[in-house]
Amino acid sequence: MAAANTGEGTEITLNIMPMLDIFSILIVFLLMSYSTDPVSYDINAGLELPDSNSMQALDEIPTIAITKTEILINDKKIVKIVNGDVPSDDMKQGASYAVFAELEKIAEVQKRIRRRLNYLDPKEKGDILTIEIDKNHEFKIMKRVMLAAQQAEFITFKMMIARLKR
Amino acid sequence: MAASNYLKRKHRRHKKKARPRFKEIELNVMPFVDVFSLLTTFLLMAAVFVAIGIIEVQIPFLTSEKPDSTPQRVLDLKVDMEKDKVTVVTSYTLPPTNEVKKEYKLNPADLEEMHLYLVGVKRKNLEVDRVSFFTDIDVKWGDMAKVLDVIKLRKYNDPIFVPKGKENDALAVAEATAYLYPKVVFSSVMLN
Repeated sequence: MAAANTGEGTEITLNIMPMLDIFSILIVFLLMSYSTDPVSYDINAGLELPDSNSMQALDEIPTIAITKTEILINDKKIVKIVNGDVPSDDMKQGASYAVFAELEKIAEVQKRIRRRLNYLDPKEKGDILTIEIDKNHEFKIMKRVMLAAQQAEFITFKMMIARLKR
Repeated sequence: MAASNYLKRKHRRHKKKARPRFKEIELNVMPFVDVFSLLTTFLLMAAVFVAIGIIEVQIPFLTSEKPDSTPQRVLDLKVDMEKDKVTVVTSYTLPPTNEVKKEYKLNPADLEEMHLYLVGVKRKNLEVDRVSFFTDIDVKWGDMAKVLDVIKLRKYNDPIFVPKGKENDALAVAEATAYLYPKVVFSSVMLN
């Protein structure tokens, strides 16, 4: 019990035991739910991930985020989504051209870095992209982005999901 | 005077000693509260309440490599997803193709049945590690993720299928422990 003297001879006491109880319970809960994943990432606002039993943890910050209203690459707005699809003036051969142009720049930078580090493997087929996409989006828009990525030589995709606790 | 004061003090001291030795002991919990509040603030700031994971998928790619000169008869596993149903098609790459089609609805019971069927296929064809995944353009990603779970992930009560000759390969065993079919290829990306 914490006590304080008012200087007038009366002693006021504060019962802090219930507060301590609350704190201890809160700490136990927070420690239990504390994430030890290699990457800590806040999901984009207005975006809902699908649930999955996958145990594979997120290991890099997503490059592409497909929110309900737009497509972002490295947090840069690339295309607006109209009626769940990319606008027709942005489409080329079924893919989003703006997405392709941006990804091509990223692929070029990655290649340059590998060349500088002497890490170019001729057997390696394509790069990897992490995609954050709203669970209510249809395959239509996913296809536009994947096709654009394929043309920029990305063929493996890490699709972000919300992990269900087993 | 001085002597009497001394005696009084001595008497008082003596009186104090005579008091009962049971004292009320109070624990100073304020440092505890300080530590707890700091820890709570830190944990609340750093906490991630949604565990984020990933499902790895591939898309087909064009290559200039020469195809295999002697094609082998292997099982080709396809999953075709529509808005309300999933069809699993198994066929061999060379005749007799022995094509088998199985249809499932998108409800938990049917998806569980589909998973058991895929486990059965894997049991008979240990070398198959790839599934071609086809889907209609109006299928939602949320539903696709459910089906991908059923295809790709090994459940805790499923047997572990380690490919023949790789029993001592730690990576292959780890992959077989986590996945039923590790490679899922989104083949419909290339279709018009």
